[in-house]
Amino acid sequence: MYKDNREFIKALEAAGELVTIDQEVDWDMEAGAIVRKVCEDKAPSPLMNKIKDYPGHRYLGAPLANYRKLAIAMGMDPESSIPEIAGEYLERTNREPVKPVIVEKDQAPCKENIITGDDVDLFTLPAPMVHEGDGGRYLATWHFVVTKDPDKQEVNWGMYRQMVYNSKIMTGPLFPFSGGGQVFHGKYVPRGEAMPFATVIGPDPLGAIAGSAPTAIPEPEYTGQLLGKPVELVKCETVDLEVPANAEIIIEGYILPDVSIEEGPFGEYTGYRTSPRDTRTVYQVTAITHRNDPITTISNMGVPTDEGQLLRSFTLGLEMDRMLRNQGIPITGVYMLPESTHHLVVVGVKPLYTNIAAQIAQTVFGSSLGMWFHMVVVVDDKTDIYNFNEVLHALSTRCHPVNGIHVWQGVGTPLYPFLSAAERKKSVGPKVLFDCTFPLDWDPLSEVPRLVSFKTVYPQEIQDKVLANWEKYGFTK
Amino acid sequence: MARYDVFINSLADLPEGKEVQLAIRDLSPGIHKYCYQDVLAMVSPDPEKYDEKMQVRYGRGQAHPQLFSIKIQENVERIPERWR
Repeated sequence: MYKDNREFIKALEAAGELVTIDQEVDWDMEAGAIVRKVCEDKAPSPLMNKIKDYPGHRYLGAPLANYRKLAIAMGMDPESSIPEIAGEYLERTNREPVKPVIVEKDQAPCKENIITGDDVDLFTLPAPMVHEGDGGRYLATWHFVVTKDPDKQEVNWGMYRQMVYNSKIMTGPLFPFSGGGQVFHGKYVPRGEAMPFATVIGPDPLGAIAGSAPTAIPEPEYTGQLLGKPVELVKCETVDLEVPANAEIIIEGYILPDVSIEEGPFGEYTGYRTSPRDTRTVYQVTAITHRNDPITTISNMGVPTDEGQLLRSFTLGLEMDRMLRNQGIPITGVYMLPESTHHLVVVGVKPLYTNIAAQIAQTVFGSSLGMWFHMVVVVDDKTDIYNFNEVLHALSTRCHPVNGIHVWQGVGTPLYPFLSAAERKKSVGPKVLFDCTFPLDWDPLSEVPRLVSFKTVYPQEIQDKVLANWEKYGFTK
Repeated sequence: MARYDVFINSLADLPEGKEVQLAIRDLSPGIHKYCYQDVLAMVSPDPEKYDEKMQVRYGRGQAHPQLFSIKIQENVERIPERWR
């Protein structure tokens, strides 16, 4: 497993998932355009070694934007299948949480350069202009923000975008239903106090995965579960927080409770610039620390597939899998399609009783995960949830347009592109279930339609004979 | 080339002949490009009326086809005094 982003980069290179760019790249849209095309082409991650105006700084783009890179991040064979990666992830995260350890400052590479007070200038960091038309330069696109509950002292790592407003101010949305947002809006704002924060840019890949995972376990301990050993943290310079000692860049400061300033627009994970510019949360910066020759990580949100879509789909799906099994619902698996920008989840189930699909949908929509997606497709246990063709066939042929589609009103992210401005303002989230199971009261022999496929309509001996002779017939295997 | 740009919801946010508070971005080349300034300013849809040209963008980033001009009257501090 990798102690930091740099060891992960070497592993990407060894697996053919890295392209090193030594010619100068402009931070003003060129780097963003490279990363965008990498996401759309599912190409290797670009390591950009020379950035215009910023000697000594580097970029790593699209670090985890496909399943091969995710397998590498998990320390697995890059050719691992999605179910294999999911199985490994669930096995590790079902173990006991692993508490982090605190290391001294002189053992923390992220302290190799320390800037505080009047010397702090966010523009000394190469925040990219990710897309044309964005509201500003986004320093934090692949990162996490560390905050702490002032009463319980519970730590949260969450991935909330941050735009550079001026030399000492960043702005960004901190929704009340996010981990850090709940503490800020629920505790600091009512008390009129500023909330300490630390933004971690270029963390190790498993720390970043933990930061984007919807888990109730404190993310430093969740990272330890994924790593199989404690994550090393170091105390911040100007706030009472700890950050990963091996991260590339740390930005410390306070989130102000009584002022909001414009942020956005920004190309978002839905593939649109949906949410218009608005006044949002203010991050006042008190210190910057970074490694020598720091590597700023860039994720470029847009049409699929970027790491936000892939990892959010992956972790949301697996948290739902865990939750539904804990409820005793006989599911066969859960797969959220990254191509749906984590809006559509497929659940396989053994349909033992009537309305089991509605029970599944109500359970997942009613959970704390429910605001991030709005479409649940329930298929039977014979359908391969990872096979897009099978799922689409089930949806198109088994879902009754009147009886099989159920719609609810719920809570949702204001980033849904289909919402009206009024719905977005209230975080209203319509939900829909597509029940692709046949009714249980249909007689299986005389009423349920027979699936006509190679595997289902031919006797086993015929299938075996055809497969054994396949190449003799003249086909390639 | 515009020296500044500004994001608006509608052109009504930029009344001519009236001082207006705006968050504008400095488009000068260099590391501070896109740094925001909070200002009181006079603006005009006539790109020649004031000394500095200004690109106007709508809430989702789309650029207005014509440049405006701007005259900055003074800078504005938006961070409450107790946090400065």
